[in-house]
Amino acid sequence: MSEGVRLASIDAIAVGEGVKIDRSVAGTADDIALLRDDDGQVYALDDTCTHETASLSDGWVEDGFVECPMHSSKFCLRNGEVSGLPATKDACPHRVEVRDGEIYIFPGEAP
Amino acid sequence: MSANKSDAATPAQHAVTGTPSGSLHRPSELAPTVDVSGLIDAASGLVDRAVFTDQAVYRQELRRIFAPSWLFLAHEDQFHKPGDFFTTYMGEDPVIVSMDKQRRVHAILNSCRHRGARVCRADFGNTKNFVCSYHGWGYDLEGSLVSVPFENEYPETFRKSDWGLVEVPRVESYSGLIFGTWNPDPEPLVEALGGMAWYMDAMLDRDPEGTVVVGGVNKWVLDGNWKLAAEQFATDWYHVNMSHASALMVMSPDGKPRDEIINRPGRQFHDPKGHGAGFPVSPKARFDDQAVHKWTDYDALRARLGDARVEGPLTTGHATVFPNFSYLPVNGSIRVWHPKGPDKMEVWTWTILDKSMPDHVRESQRLYNLRTFGPSGIFEQDDGENWSEAQAVAHGFVTNNVALNYQMGIGTEKEDGTYPGVTTSLYSDAAGRSFYRRWQELMGTPAWHEGSDS
Repeated sequence: MSEGVRLASIDAIAVGEGVKIDRSVAGTADDIALLRDDDGQVYALDDTCTHETASLSDGWVEDGFVECPMHSSKFCLRNGEVSGLPATKDACPHRVEVRDGEIYIFPGEAP
Repeated sequence: MSANKSDAATPAQHAVTGTPSGSLHRPSELAPTVDVSGLIDAASGLVDRAVFTDQAVYRQELRRIFAPSWLFLAHEDQFHKPGDFFTTYMGEDPVIVSMDKQRRVHAILNSCRHRGARVCRADFGNTKNFVCSYHGWGYDLEGSLVSVPFENEYPETFRKSDWGLVEVPRVESYSGLIFGTWNPDPEPLVEALGGMAWYMDAMLDRDPEGTVVVGGVNKWVLDGNWKLAAEQFATDWYHVNMSHASALMVMSPDGKPRDEIINRPGRQFHDPKGHGAGFPVSPKARFDDQAVHKWTDYDALRARLGDARVEGPLTTGHATVFPNFSYLPVNGSIRVWHPKGPDKMEVWTWTILDKSMPDHVRESQRLYNLRTFGPSGIFEQDDGENWSEAQAVAHGFVTNNVALNYQMGIGTEKEDGTYPGVTTSLYSDAAGRSFYRRWQELMGTPAWHEGSDS
């Protein structure tokens, strides 16, 4: 897995937005939310909010955080740490790399 | 689609909304029906002031005027991508108008099915879901309930599919204007507009590209019954010379009183559905800002809309689409008179422009409308003062028992061969009499949810 798994082209994700990648593509237990911060950096978290069933890839991405679109729990893009109720568990982060405009994920590796 | 699907096993449903109602049964005493046939004498041009003040009459208006009628919701230009939403009211019912993922614009009741709070508190914006800030029930853009915190604490019979936001059953557009009705089986919007559509096109169909909204929606609260404003925009050029005398002096090209302002020829149209419009008839009646005048291609307008429309309803006119949508074609001002009890209204106004207008013309028209019919516009302030003044004294016992006069132009209604439908001269109460005749008719007609003979 040293190369990682190619998920998407960076241009496919607008700044401040996210896309959902199916778990069968990523080789992960949950679907993956690829989230692109204001500064253009891309991060990967497990897509399902740790509170209720909701997709973090639909969330609001800003200033290093993603806010769940359902009940507004907030997670750190970098390490998945939760910083706002009602969620109490951290989101699972995955390391990503961007090479030649393509995003690669390293499932289970800490960023 | 319906947000309130139910299968054959589902028991009682509420007559108004189709929502589960179990063994609930609202006693009829809570919705008494007032016989209003004696409150309007359209033939004699008399109106009983109780129509502006009585709480029971007002409650019946919500049930029989606002619930069954096509009501203006928003302009199509307010929705461009999925998740775009705008919140407004239908009568006193809060609704969210939004574009879903299939780019379909629809309207849903803005009240959580759990404890009833609004699920969207913003005026407009873009969102992924509508989530109640009370307990967190979350609804998707179509209004389906998709998230219930602690759902496993509910009984097994609980199904999220039963508890979506109530959808406005019918939403239709006319030339960029979106209307909705709670009536699940209404006549089509274009039929409800009837003969009014020809007059509306003088504002909405000038430009082959249609109209756009410029700026935001202005909102203000006025003391006064909503009908005072609605009827005036249907029927009342009469007040212009007196109420707006100072504003007319400001607008006069040379700052002097001019006979053509006061003795203005014109026609007033009224439709049996309660709509009305009045307009001066003159090739040069437009008060437009110069930039708008210079840009406007009157020859092209005449070819597109015909001479009669360009010289009439495209000028400095006024109009109401029954019950509570009004507009001023020359200003591009469109507005709703939201009822807030018998004594109060909220005025919501949009400015719409022809889409082809270049930026400097748009800006000129926007400012023109702001100066004249914005919340502090030199004309708008005069109107609000009149309505609030009439309402301020209307509750007096003797005052309330003195009928008001709507007799101007009685007997002059005719088809003049130029303007379609029935018209009178510009100075007339004919559209007012027609407005209240329609009001009386609907107030005496059980709405769809009342059954046919209640």
